[in-house]
Amino acid sequence: MNELIPLMVIVPLIAALLISAFSKFNKVTKIFAFVVAICLPLIPLLSNYGLHYFGGYEPILDNVTSFVYHPAITYSFTFLQQIFIAMIGLLTFLVIFVYLTKYKEVSGPYLFLLFLGTAAVTAMLLTDDIFHMFVFFEILALAQVGIVAASSIDYSYEMALKYMILGSIGSPIMLLGIGFLLALTGSVNVTDIATAVHNGLVDATSPVFLTSLGLIFFGWLYASGLPPFHTIKSGIYSKAEPHGAALLQSFTVISMISIVLIMHRIYSTLPIFEVLIVFFSILAMILGVSMALTQTDFRRMIGFLAVGELGFIGLGIGLGTNYAITAGLFQALNEIIITALLFIGFGAIVNATNEVDTRKLGGLLAYHPKVSLMLLIAGLAMAGVPPLSGFQSKLMLVQASLNCGFPEISILAIMVSIATFVVFVKTFYVMFLRPKPKELEVEGKEVPRAMIFAMGILLILVIGLGLFPDVVVNGISSFVGGIL
Amino acid sequence: MAQTQLAILLTSVALVVIGLYAAIFVDNIIKKIIGISFIEEGANLFIVAIGYKAGGVVPILMPGMDTSWFASNAAYPLPFGLVLTSIVIGASTLAVMLALVMVLYRRYGTLSTKVMLADTSKQEEYNE
Repeated sequence: MNELIPLMVIVPLIAALLISAFSKFNKVTKIFAFVVAICLPLIPLLSNYGLHYFGGYEPILDNVTSFVYHPAITYSFTFLQQIFIAMIGLLTFLVIFVYLTKYKEVSGPYLFLLFLGTAAVTAMLLTDDIFHMFVFFEILALAQVGIVAASSIDYSYEMALKYMILGSIGSPIMLLGIGFLLALTGSVNVTDIATAVHNGLVDATSPVFLTSLGLIFFGWLYASGLPPFHTIKSGIYSKAEPHGAALLQSFTVISMISIVLIMHRIYSTLPIFEVLIVFFSILAMILGVSMALTQTDFRRMIGFLAVGELGFIGLGIGLGTNYAITAGLFQALNEIIITALLFIGFGAIVNATNEVDTRKLGGLLAYHPKVSLMLLIAGLAMAGVPPLSGFQSKLMLVQASLNCGFPEISILAIMVSIATFVVFVKTFYVMFLRPKPKELEVEGKEVPRAMIFAMGILLILVIGLGLFPDVVVNGISSFVGGIL
Repeated sequence: MAQTQLAILLTSVALVVIGLYAAIFVDNIIKKIIGISFIEEGANLFIVAIGYKAGGVVPILMPGMDTSWFASNAAYPLPFGLVLTSIVIGASTLAVMLALVMVLYRRYGTLSTKVMLADTSKQEEYNE
């Protein structure tokens, strides 16, 4: 059933357009959005692995060079795409469910942006065409800006414009890099470009090729929110609605791994490529957690912790072995789930207290025990406490760096995990355990059941993947073996 | 490399450099956005230059045309297709940026980025 592969992009895209067009019919919009959101995680689970050639244009064998060329856009669907697209689909469903139950009158444009972002990251994961990836990367940036601007939080427009300006510098620079690759190989298909590089048709040490790496790498740093873009990335999380932030961070993780996997296929022959990734990842880990330590706004604190976790993903991919890349991708999956759980959980606290400043909070354990417990488990998972999912992926990363002969990186990873633990325990104590400040009003304010439901589903995944990591690790490892 | 192609490439480099200067160093938000447009158009022009072929023909195979002659004389069409898409995306991002600027101009009454895009965390502390 390879016809289902393009439907993973088409369904949310069409849904976005229809919802935008017919948003004045509130009840119909709600039902339609709910039904489509349920379908999103199911389509990848029902689809078979394989390739989809748009327009039916299959690869052509060039008799002169004996190489195969791809004349049209190709979508590739393997276990990796399946697990990540299903996860994004599930998260989109949970976020839309929380949104639909929160408001009586829903905003069509806001739902449009949620579906548009989901379609864009899905296409970025599936595509084997670097320009196609760039187009959806731009669409994703627009959706992200819209989600931030649509929130009712102070200074969201300012943050959205800042992000847009940086994105508008980063994207054309990435496009220039793609142009350099096009000039060298005559193609924008990643398989064709990689074939040309690995068969010596392109001089991998030429200045043009190296420049293309630098330009695309810059775009990747922007997409991933790695330094020097870490402050703006954590900023947009803090200016979005909490459920929107849960989805935004997953968009960041998916765009990060989509672009880096494409870069890995093209530039893996260059030693500088892996050095660059490891360098910026370590920088993100250190800056993310150290800046999280100083935050009093808990949304911003999670934003910085999420940036630090992105560093772990990059570290695994930068080390370059099968085990390390598998660990990095497993960490990516865990980060999507854990950070979403944290954002929705802290969103529940905002809902109940109308407060985001940890200095003004306290004693919430007695009022919201379920949310407190779930947030505690999520924070411990992020810090890498066994037997939760974050522990499994971080243990793999530490083992991978030891196997690669970098014990220093292992020690650093453990220290950053300990720092993450300290940040979270400190915040948890301040918000939930210490006596409630007199001026804080929490009486009679309930957390919506939809939020508890969403957190419960994510919590089951955190514990499940911690106890049975092989369910996904074996499949990811097979995928990584294929690209190496 | 043909002289025309070289001229196009140099122009694209000039556009990107001027655009980067404006986007980074100029305070007025509208001028900043014009700079960003310069970068985008520089990148587009660069890709157009890749597809340029001196003395080439438009890459549309007409009835009666010899295919081998067409293959060796037609310009490379892929970059033109890519640039068309890129222009549309650039127009969309430009529209969104200008819309945000309109909202912020009404709020702050200035186009200075130092005022309207000052560190939001500091703005919040100031308001408190």
